[in-house]
Amino acid sequence: MTEVVEKTSAPVAAAAAADSALEVRALSKAFGTRKALDSLSFELPTGAFLAICGANGAGKTTLLRILATLARPSSGSVSVLGCDIKEQPDEVRARIGFISHRSMLYPDLTAEENLLLAARLYGVVEPQTRVSELLAAVELTARRYDLARSFSRGMTQRLAIARALIHDPQLVLLDEPYTGLDPHASEIFDALLATQRASRSFVLVSHDLRKGFELASHLLLLNRGKLELFAPSAELDFASFSQLYYQTVGG
Amino acid sequence: MTATEPTPRATPSVPTATATSAAAATLTPTATRRPSTFRQYRILLGKDLRREFRTREMLTSMGIYAVLVLIVFGTALMQASAGFDVLPVAGGLIWALIVFTSLLGLNRSFSHEKEEAALEGIMLVPLDRSVIFLAKASANVLFLLVVEIITLPLFYFLFLSGSALAATFGLAIVPLLVGTIGIAGVGTLLATITVNTRGQDVLLAVLFVPLVFPLLYACVAATSVALLGGEDMMATFGPAVALAAAYDVIMILVSWLLYDFIISA
Repeated sequence: MTEVVEKTSAPVAAAAAADSALEVRALSKAFGTRKALDSLSFELPTGAFLAICGANGAGKTTLLRILATLARPSSGSVSVLGCDIKEQPDEVRARIGFISHRSMLYPDLTAEENLLLAARLYGVVEPQTRVSELLAAVELTARRYDLARSFSRGMTQRLAIARALIHDPQLVLLDEPYTGLDPHASEIFDALLATQRASRSFVLVSHDLRKGFELASHLLLLNRGKLELFAPSAELDFASFSQLYYQTVGG
Repeated sequence: MTATEPTPRATPSVPTATATSAAAATLTPTATRRPSTFRQYRILLGKDLRREFRTREMLTSMGIYAVLVLIVFGTALMQASAGFDVLPVAGGLIWALIVFTSLLGLNRSFSHEKEEAALEGIMLVPLDRSVIFLAKASANVLFLLVVEIITLPLFYFLFLSGSALAATFGLAIVPLLVGTIGIAGVGTLLATITVNTRGQDVLLAVLFVPLVFPLLYACVAATSVALLGGEDMMATFGPAVALAAAYDVIMILVSWLLYDFIISA
């Protein structure tokens, strides 16, 4: 029954060697007759920081949920760090961290218990050490024995960030991660991003155009499920990106 | 692919390492080794047990509800004549009590998973999603058994203390155990289906009762004959328990096979 997959196993080595963090080919997703995503294709290099922008209902979160293996595409293919999300979903899951606007935490477990639960499920080799390290990184060491239910929104989000990084993912998916964060929590999150972006790839969904633009190495603009723009951010300035955004989504 | 004419860009004000706290800077790479399926099962089961014994949310609500059902039974039976013997219908009453109580518990078994989308967090882990089902169903079996251990002696003292129980009454443990496993298994599957629906309480009951009817029928028969005894008791008890056990095996196997599809949908 024991099934052991080390980080140094063949699929992981393949993923580590992958040139692309994401390869999306003709990806479509329909809910009934409504197309949430319509034939998206793009390729994101390893180590890149992609910001996905678009109006409400543009398909940003649907795209992110497909990348996270939480939703299935209707057609097309998606490869995450060299692993196909349909053929190798577990390989993909082992390599991604997902931070949503919902914390994915158990309110009736303590901060430490929540992180230990995730660490043990992922099979982190030294879970207690990793948990302590992450609690320190998000400045929650003093609250480690407190129930997550007793946390403020900002503290909950910081704990959710720690949970998403517990297994040292190579690709981090961020769905509106700044929602509900106070300035201090935003600062901690920015600091974590700054230290971590050299060693992993990021995909950020945000309504904050400037924040997304400042963080990103690549920009993706969605409009009603269709790709309007995918480009390295170095090829754009904020004014032209912002102008394109408002031309596309209206307003 | 670019839908606009790119223009040169100013250097972005990306957060830099100089802005980090010392703690954030010490985050080190970590190794992982995927745990066995059994270990993941134990971790998830342990999580549910720890959570429940901390909040007592399910046990308290099911326990109180079971006592209320017993009071209703008592009120209804008080209307019968003073010498009314409950024993012939005790099997049916016991299973009515268990079904009503389990419905309440099953409805609550996923509420904490939904609250902060914690179930999605579990689904992001590389594991066989059927393990989520097995762990949750096992927890539900344990919680139901705890409630039965508390309420069935109460049922005996309220309704059966004056009755002449057969010597075989101890055999009632077998259908109780087999029935509880089946109820928890099917109920966990249905609770997963209904957790994100509107009117989940009603929907679970509407789906649950018809689906567990064969199990209920077999368990009532087996429990009744165990309490009543008789020479040909085993002629009914054996096939009834076998039917209930077969139901458990089939339904749990189907649930195991379908769970990935259901939870993903």
